[in-house]
Amino acid sequence: MNLYSIALRNIWRKKTRALLITSGLIVGIATAVALFLTVESMRLALGDQIDEFGSNIVIVPRAEGMDISYGGAHVSRASIDLKQLELSDLEAIKEIPDFNSINIISPKMVAAVNVNGKEALLVGIEPNREFIMKPWYTLAAQSGLNGGEGIRGLAMADLKPEGIIAGAEAAAALELQAGSQITINGQNFVVQGILNPLGSAEDGLFFANLAAVQTLLGRPGEISMVEISAYCNACPVEELAAQISAVLPNGEVTALRQAALIREETIDKFSAFSILLSAVALTIAALLVFTTMMAAVHERTREIGIFRALGFRKSHIIRIFFIEAGLVGLLGGGAGYLAGNLVASLAGTYLTGSAVPATWQPELFYQALLLSTTVALIASAFPAGRAAGLNPAEALRFI
Amino acid sequence: MSNVLIKMDNIKKYYRSGSDTVSALQEITLQIGRGESAAVMGASGSGKSTLLSIVGGLNRPSGGKILIDDLDLYALPGERLADFRREYIGFVFQQFQLIPYLTALENVLLPLTTAGYSRPEKYERALNALERVSMTGRKNHLPNQLSGGEQERVAIARAIVNEPPLVLADEPTGSLDSRTAGEIMELFQDLGESGLTILMVTHNPENAAYMQRLITMQDGLVTDDSKKPEPLASGRIALAGNAGGVR
Ligand SMILES: Nc1ncnc2c1ncn2[C@@H]1O[C@H](COP(=O)(O)OP(=O)(O)OP(=O)(O)O)[C@@H](O)[C@H]1O
Ligand SMILES: [Mg+2]
Repeated sequence: MNLYSIALRNIWRKKTRALLITSGLIVGIATAVALFLTVESMRLALGDQIDEFGSNIVIVPRAEGMDISYGGAHVSRASIDLKQLELSDLEAIKEIPDFNSINIISPKMVAAVNVNGKEALLVGIEPNREFIMKPWYTLAAQSGLNGGEGIRGLAMADLKPEGIIAGAEAAAALELQAGSQITINGQNFVVQGILNPLGSAEDGLFFANLAAVQTLLGRPGEISMVEISAYCNACPVEELAAQISAVLPNGEVTALRQAALIREETIDKFSAFSILLSAVALTIAALLVFTTMMAAVHERTREIGIFRALGFRKSHIIRIFFIEAGLVGLLGGGAGYLAGNLVASLAGTYLTGSAVPATWQPELFYQALLLSTTVALIASAFPAGRAAGLNPAEALRFI
Repeated sequence: MSNVLIKMDNIKKYYRSGSDTVSALQEITLQIGRGESAAVMGASGSGKSTLLSIVGGLNRPSGGKILIDDLDLYALPGERLADFRREYIGFVFQQFQLIPYLTALENVLLPLTTAGYSRPEKYERALNALERVSMTGRKNHLPNQLSGGEQERVAIARAIVNEPPLVLADEPTGSLDSRTAGEIMELFQDLGESGLTILMVTHNPENAAYMQRLITMQDGLVTDDSKKPEPLASGRIALAGNAGGVR
């Protein structure tokens, strides 16, 4: 017999009541956990999206109804009414007021070509710009390595005029290795490096020097796309985009990051809303614990009087109630965590469109336990105090 | 150690409810010796329960002073009073007041819960106490599986398990038939003979006869206080022919 067994007996004796409080806590904790997981997965998805844009401004030739899809299958070579964008046009960008905010300007030419007899997408780039802007491009293999040289960087930064860097899928589809000879539109090239797979459309691309591609296509000086990475705290990206647009009449300038930012704002709002909703759910749970505990104190007045007469201190009485609340809190926290995960993986994906990874998160589990127990204890503090404060003589009088 | 266990000096108790003030104890000055057994009688509302609860450290008097074992009860700091109750007082209540969801043994273990005994020690003491009231065989029964008399025995075991010097009983046989009440009174008598100090409120003169001393109260005052020279035998004889008359 100790305070724990007394508390346990009371829980067991009033199973329905304990179940009621536990359910309240489960709902509260599950709400908080499910919303937290959902917001977290939304943020993760957003993070991926933002990472995907190494650039935050994209310039394409201005053209109505023109369908250029970078990395996608449809890149129109037809330039019916297309205003051409020349490399030299980019000089004008240096004149914009916020030029200092611009980090890298990476012009490129994207074209559908014939590689070893198969259709493929070739991207002409300036390697030291493109690969610095997109540091997640890494080589899996490269040719012409000397002893002691690491795989990383060499071929990418130093792409020879006849050199090609192949995306993982592109290399696999054409069974290419580093050092393989290939023909593109009838002209010979050497596969200088093969990229690690990224799991995105870029895996299917071939990269070559911009100048080489321009020559190959017979369109010297022409570019089909410019990606710009800019970091500007003071000015919004769209402001930069507007400035560029003003000096590039032939270009259609889009601030890419904006989409992500708007989404981030949405997530922030949803997150704030989630916190509010969780707080409401937990407050309701707390009120449930409170009223149930108050009723229990009232009902157990006699018992408390007896305990006090038998020499239990006030602190002992408080401890009995806190142990009960704590145990129920732990139970509610644990079950609430599981329920929250379940709800997040079922409803979260459906609601937000982003997949919630159903991973075991010990940290969140302990936080759920802590939160639930804290709510239960705080809500029981007053009832427990009330119980301890009962005048034992009074408590025993009306029996 | 003085011979006086309880020393009440000018104890007063008022209850205030709204604008009304009830004077439950007007002025009680009383001494009870160590090992003495005393019955408290008096009309309903005369202040018997109030007196008992003050002696038991459950009810702070409005005035006066009470010493138990030379300890100024109500001068004790907060939680020490609870410790005092655990160490010094065994309560036996009218309706037994066993905790309904605990077995007989567990009820007896209760006062030991907050004391610093080891687990085996607690069980040994509790079983000993149950033995003294002949309830060992029913130790695993819940109160509602026991008769009134049996519950009363368990309540007595619970009161003496900590071996307190003082047992306070408020109408302990009030809800028992006279025969069972007699058995319980004999138990109290045995406890008294083993050196325990007993203060018992009762409405039944036959029960009072088991005690060495009879304190009579009226309107919050002690109106009569007499020691009985030969209470034991007469009590037992009186009980033998008793056919009712308990309350
Ligand atoms: N908590 C309280 N609040 C107000 N009045 C009280 C309180 N406790 C006792 N009283 C009053 O004090 C007086 C003495 O009460 P007490 O319970 O001590 O009497 P008693 O002698 O034990 O009576 P009974 O034989 O009916 O048990 C009564 O008038 C009672 O109404
Ligand atoms: Mg009374």
